[in-house]
Amino acid sequence: MEAKKETKELKKQKYVTFMSGKEYFGLKIECVNEIIVAQEITAIPETEDYIKGLINLRGKIIPVIDVRLRFKQEPFEYNDRTCIIVITVQNTVVGLIVEKIAEVVEIDEENLLPSPTIGKLEKTQKDRYVYAIGKVGDSVKLLLDPEKLLHDDMKTLESAYEDDAKDDSNE
Amino acid sequence: MKILLAEDDFVTRKFMTNFLSKYGECDVTVDGMEAVDAFMMALEMEEPYDLVCLDIMMPVMDGYQALMGIRNLEKERGIAPENAVKVIMATALNDEKNVKMAFDLGCTIYSGKPIDEARFEQALQKLGLIE
Amino acid sequence: MAEDFSVEGMLDMYLFENRQLLEKLQETVLDQKDADCFDEDAINEIFRTMHTIKGSSGIMMFDEITEVSHKLEDIFYFIRESHPENVPHVELVEHVLEVADFINSEMDKLEEGGTADGSAKEIVANLNTFLASLKGENKEEIIKENVHQAPTQFYIAPMATASSHFFRIFIRYAPDTIMANVHAYKIVFALKDLAEDLLHYPEDIISDESSGDYILENGFKILLQAQCDMEKLQEIIQEGYEITKVEMEEITPQIFQMGLDAFGISADSIIDLDSSVEDITKKEKDQAGAIAPGMFVLPPQGQEAKPAEKKEFAPGDFVIESKGPGKSKKLAKDKATKQDKTSYISVDVKKMDQLMDLIGELVISQSVVLQNQDLKIPGLRLDNFNKAAGQMVKISTDLQNVIMSMRMVPLTNTFQKMNRIVFDVSRKLGKDIEFQMIGDATEVDKNIIEHISDPLMHLVRNAVDHGIETTEEREAKGKKQKGKVTLSARTESGKVWIGVTDNGKGLDRKKILEKAREHELLDPTRLDSSYSDKEVYQLITLPGFSTNEQVTEYSGRGVGMDVVVSNLQAIGGTLEIDSTPGEGSQMLLKIPLTLAIIDGIVMQVGSNTFVIETGAVKEFINIREDSVIQKPNKEEFVMIRGEGYPLLRLGDWYGIADCETDVQKGMIVMVEADKECFCLFVDKLIGKQEIVVKPIPDYIKKVQGLTGCTQLGDGRIALILDMAALLEE
Repeated sequence: MEAKKETKELKKQKYVTFMSGKEYFGLKIECVNEIIVAQEITAIPETEDYIKGLINLRGKIIPVIDVRLRFKQEPFEYNDRTCIIVITVQNTVVGLIVEKIAEVVEIDEENLLPSPTIGKLEKTQKDRYVYAIGKVGDSVKLLLDPEKLLHDDMKTLESAYEDDAKDDSNE
Repeated sequence: MKILLAEDDFVTRKFMTNFLSKYGECDVTVDGMEAVDAFMMALEMEEPYDLVCLDIMMPVMDGYQALMGIRNLEKERGIAPENAVKVIMATALNDEKNVKMAFDLGCTIYSGKPIDEARFEQALQKLGLIE
Repeated sequence: MAEDFSVEGMLDMYLFENRQLLEKLQETVLDQKDADCFDEDAINEIFRTMHTIKGSSGIMMFDEITEVSHKLEDIFYFIRESHPENVPHVELVEHVLEVADFINSEMDKLEEGGTADGSAKEIVANLNTFLASLKGENKEEIIKENVHQAPTQFYIAPMATASSHFFRIFIRYAPDTIMANVHAYKIVFALKDLAEDLLHYPEDIISDESSGDYILENGFKILLQAQCDMEKLQEIIQEGYEITKVEMEEITPQIFQMGLDAFGISADSIIDLDSSVEDITKKEKDQAGAIAPGMFVLPPQGQEAKPAEKKEFAPGDFVIESKGPGKSKKLAKDKATKQDKTSYISVDVKKMDQLMDLIGELVISQSVVLQNQDLKIPGLRLDNFNKAAGQMVKISTDLQNVIMSMRMVPLTNTFQKMNRIVFDVSRKLGKDIEFQMIGDATEVDKNIIEHISDPLMHLVRNAVDHGIETTEEREAKGKKQKGKVTLSARTESGKVWIGVTDNGKGLDRKKILEKAREHELLDPTRLDSSYSDKEVYQLITLPGFSTNEQVTEYSGRGVGMDVVVSNLQAIGGTLEIDSTPGEGSQMLLKIPLTLAIIDGIVMQVGSNTFVIETGAVKEFINIREDSVIQKPNKEEFVMIRGEGYPLLRLGDWYGIADCETDVQKGMIVMVEADKECFCLFVDKLIGKQEIVVKPIPDYIKKVQGLTGCTQLGDGRIALILDMAALLEE
């Protein structure tokens, strides 16, 4: 009996959550390297608008992207609450600029729900990045797939839709 | 073919016994000292082993010491090198230094672990121990 | 463990030694390929080499390699002992090379973790026939047989070590777990079936009951070598009880070798999970350190070093030369190389790169110190500071030079490979060609050598195949029958110049133009005659161009030249083509000596900082507004000393906001690329400084004209501009 309880606990996952717009988003803690305060960003010409440029992370030069712009939302002013979440996705290190860091939460697997959508029309740009939602008490965190967050080219898009390829093939 | 195995780790021992039993009757010891004793006993009973398989890292007496012991026993009894028992060292120590040392001490086959069965058989064939 | 860290696996040693032997062998053979027969030293060397390879392959049970080396050894034994007359030398050379190729290709397979499964039957049969014919001609001699000793000792490599994975596992138990050591042992027991090697800490978990408390407090640490993947491990470890946390990480064999020390770091850097992120960031802010923003998760050290720059360098070792470059060409005699060995030390390439990186960081922090704002307070007396600073700059420059020289490798090996190619291709095509090497001792950054090998090979093949005429053609033209291909190298003004010259027919201007028209590569409004020779020759480097109607086995399908050029551009090199009809052509590669640290001019445009390599900048000019003239198509040029130069406003080009538009307020930088001069317009110059080139992260797609980035003295990032790349279409 006891063993059963234990295995249940194992299914818990820790997420770093942050606020962007009005919503709270979550990233699995494994892919987060560190969180730093916003710092000077060197812009790179001729790149997508959401790629804000490069930062110097203790001698390592890493690209940073603006999560709001990535979601095609209104840009926001950077202030002293603005943070950069440094994540590693498949050996690529990227910084995510977010408005405000919230906290690290633990979410039971049973509190994870697939992200609700209406039919196929709801598959908006923004929704693509959210693979599930997590319930924490009364609030809800949108859980992000970091890989999809970073890559936008056709190949990854295709693989991004692979999971629900059956639904999409009718479109 | 008469085989003697010395291996201290239970799991490996079980695996090796299974593996070697394919080729002949396999006696099992758990350290180098026991192996040398068993080898001597077999010599005295005039039923010597054809193949000795030694792990290197073992308690009481390690594989190198056991190998030396076996070769010394043979020398003492005036057994010609071509009639000497074939000794296999099987171990995870796989660097050149260890291999050289084993060969210098008179080991016949040095096999890294996990054992590559196909190559092992090939070596036995070359030694004329199996068809 | 300390003394063991240069552990070389048997297979590694086997491959390393035999590769070296074969390389020497090829060199010797090619050296004497044009002689009438091998001299005694060469015969002895080949014999010994084959004997050694036979012996080691026998122990390793690579039967086919044993067989061929055995056969070739027989032949040379016979030659050595019986001194037969009339040995068909060229045929013999071919046999030796064939054997060397076979062994090399088998070793390639082994190196990649495969098995040496090639069949040498054909080669052995050829060798047998050859030996029989040799013996046949020398019947009257008493033929001594080479006595062979069958190998009596064998080495069996562990099963597919290449596919082994190494893991570091950290397990934490619930604080109320009773007898955590027993639980830990259960895991160890479950892993034993899979494990090729397994270490754990605490070590004694069976008899030492206090280990349970230790585990509760500090967690249980395992290092595992196994063939399975992480999923499988997760399955096993999830089966345990009372486990609150499992951390699993795949590590490199090197870290694994470090043993449980590998845990030293990660165990201390366990994520601080008890306080929330906000707390931690608050703590960070409280700390004064504004320069280095704090971090809240310390990545384990091994991991930090791993992901970045992984693919930059092929695995392998540098050999650092501590003596002068006067390398003896003698074959390393079996064991007698001990003395030589003391002057060399093998260093992992990764460590060299690390050192290079560190020196880069040093250069940066040096400029942080020397250009510090604090020093700019008026009235400060800095005489002593400047003196000390000067000394420091000198030392760090020396340090840079030493590390650079450590990375320098002579081109000899690369050139030797080309020798082989000339030999092979010319034999197959029935052309008689002399190959000359000039300056093969020229040293180049190891990194660059890897990049030029393929382009060079292509150019050399081209020279032999397309450049040099057939013997008949040459005769008809009254040229010497023997063609000549020259490979030369020299260093000049911070660049390596490598030339591939042939005395063949040269490039055919007319044919190239025709072909270019055909492929619509030319501007239809321009007359053929308006193209300069140089321009015409450059046409062959365009994608999809080939002047040869016939695609031959050796020089590809005209996809070659453009690939050559793009390969060169990747390392900042260029290709110049020169040719005289009837007399031959020359391909000249210009490559930077090193990629890592450059001398650069730093300039500002809007809020962006750019760097241009000092070598590309010709001069800085302030101009009046009326010297800028705009053509109707909006293109601008500047009149300087009576000559017009195209003008490129960097700010407009990259669409940078807030950049200077008034030419009188900004600065004109005249730069040169591909022999063309043009002007860049920037806001202002910042200064000249040594720049440590870092790649722009892969995540950002390639931006035209940008080849890298760097960190400036004040910590800001500057983008490195490459003039040649800026001009590309």
